[in-house]
Amino acid sequence: MTTGKVLYEVKNVSKNYGSVQALTGVSLKLHAGEVIGLVGDNGAGKSTLVKVLSGAHQPSEGVVELDGEERRWDSPHDALVAGVETLYQDSGLAPHLSVSSNVFLGREKFSKGLLGKLGFLAQKDMDRIAHENLEKVGIAVPQSNRSVSQLSGGQRQAVAIGRAVSWASKVIILDEPTNHLGARQAGEVLAVIQQAKKRGLGVIFISHTLPHVLQVTDRIVVLRLGKIVADAPTSTFDAESLLGTITGLIEK
Amino acid sequence: MSSPVVAPSRIKSLFGNQQFILLLVLFAMVAFFTWRNPVFFSNAVFGNILADWSPVVLIAVGEFFVIVSGGIDLSVGSTIAISGVVSAFSMRALTANHVGQNMTLFLGLLTCVGIGILVGSINALLITKARIVPFIATLTTMGAGAGMAIVLTGGSQIGDGPAKAISLSVPDFGPLSRPGIVIVFIVAILWVIMGKNRFGRYTYAIGSNSFAARAAGINVNRHLAKVYILSSVLAGLAGFYYYLLLSVGAPTSGQGGELQAIAAVVIGGTALAGGTGKLSGTVLGALILTTVTSGLIMINVAANWKQVVVAILIAVAVLIQEFRSTGGTGSGPIRRLLTRNSK
Repeated sequence: MTTGKVLYEVKNVSKNYGSVQALTGVSLKLHAGEVIGLVGDNGAGKSTLVKVLSGAHQPSEGVVELDGEERRWDSPHDALVAGVETLYQDSGLAPHLSVSSNVFLGREKFSKGLLGKLGFLAQKDMDRIAHENLEKVGIAVPQSNRSVSQLSGGQRQAVAIGRAVSWASKVIILDEPTNHLGARQAGEVLAVIQQAKKRGLGVIFISHTLPHVLQVTDRIVVLRLGKIVADAPTSTFDAESLLGTITGLIEK
Repeated sequence: MSSPVVAPSRIKSLFGNQQFILLLVLFAMVAFFTWRNPVFFSNAVFGNILADWSPVVLIAVGEFFVIVSGGIDLSVGSTIAISGVVSAFSMRALTANHVGQNMTLFLGLLTCVGIGILVGSINALLITKARIVPFIATLTTMGAGAGMAIVLTGGSQIGDGPAKAISLSVPDFGPLSRPGIVIVFIVAILWVIMGKNRFGRYTYAIGSNSFAARAAGINVNRHLAKVYILSSVLAGLAGFYYYLLLSVGAPTSGQGGELQAIAAVVIGGTALAGGTGKLSGTVLGALILTTVTSGLIMINVAANWKQVVVAILIAVAVLIQEFRSTGGTGSGPIRRLLTRNSK
């Protein structure tokens, strides 16, 4: 396991929604070039932790640090600008827009000169660059000016991941990226994660599909009832012990 | 081309299938009406059709932006009435005080735009801040606007404005009047913006998936506010157009305008569920609507048949959409509209 400096860190984070305590004293370190698997049963607090990490929610207590600096995300956009990309379950793309329009959504390239200042788009450049960037992270999409609704489920997911990986400069959070995918497509997604790791990004991989978690991660963090109950190198787990830790049959 | 998004090429976006069908329908109508009454094929009649079309295309294009963004604007008709009436009051007062005609007309135009901004802002606040669904929010401003237009005028028309107004709506550019030329110009600019500008891109994105748009960092509420204000300002301009046409502010101007606007958008092939559609289709849709109206009168068909013909056109347009988007599996825009959540 080759890991660099600490990239993204949460320290002693708690989150409650009214009287519901969703997270209690969670601390987590993500290193550059590291893939963390975040697992846990439904209601364990995975989604809440993802929301804190992606800037959708603010922690009730505790701090979030990026590159050793304390950060406070007021919106997911803040985190995005700082280099933390999140891929949400299913709903990250606008189906009627083309592949390249989705890749550049919210970060459009404009024409040169006055027209660009007036918000006119450099669509040809975006089509070309989107195609290049997706190829660079290992995703082959037929045509970047095709609308996303014309793609298969696997291709859509690939575009969503490709977008996140190509924009992320530091951290990428993938919430159930292999859901609803066939074995071959899931394999492609896992390959993209390996690519991101090679580029020195920190990856947080949330999944219910434990074989995928065991296959692609360096370290596994198990949440149960809002607390971290295990945080250990992936090599110390097998399918059985991981499942046991998630369900609480094994205390680690 | 069931999901036209980013104008791939100019020619394709103009004559994509849906547009081609609309043009065929238009030519067929012109041929039919000319066959029944040869007088139909004349500059005078085309001039009348374009005079009717000009305000309708304005509100239809505003409605197009709103519908693509995933909403609906029912207030455009009553915004025509209230802006026309308030502007007529102000122009009457200015004329009584011997303000020059050009200045009076200019201030009257600004009044219409101002009323448009006001109505659009109210719609935007109700939708983005009070989180009322667009249908209900614009239903309330529709009722309030129409009611106020009647109350302010006591139901009568407001005249005694600048005498010059009527001369402006004479067709002196072929079949088009000077205001008509301005409207064509405005529509052309909006067409380019929809296809090539960030404003259009965000409108499509929000209508397609507002969650994704927000996640990508687009300020969805601010953009929707702009869209609703645009729609109301275009309705205000239509109000001023009717003033020029009639030389009075009539509280009944624009009655049923919201339905004409929505009909033009739907006939033009735009899905009510949002996220897709072409502005050129809406322009043709408005032209088909106004051609039917004039044509039926020219061939002595009772005026109320117009509604039946328009209803058939809408039904056919929606069926074509439904078929295109699903290949006939029955999970298309109608189904989605019936089951969709509020945004």
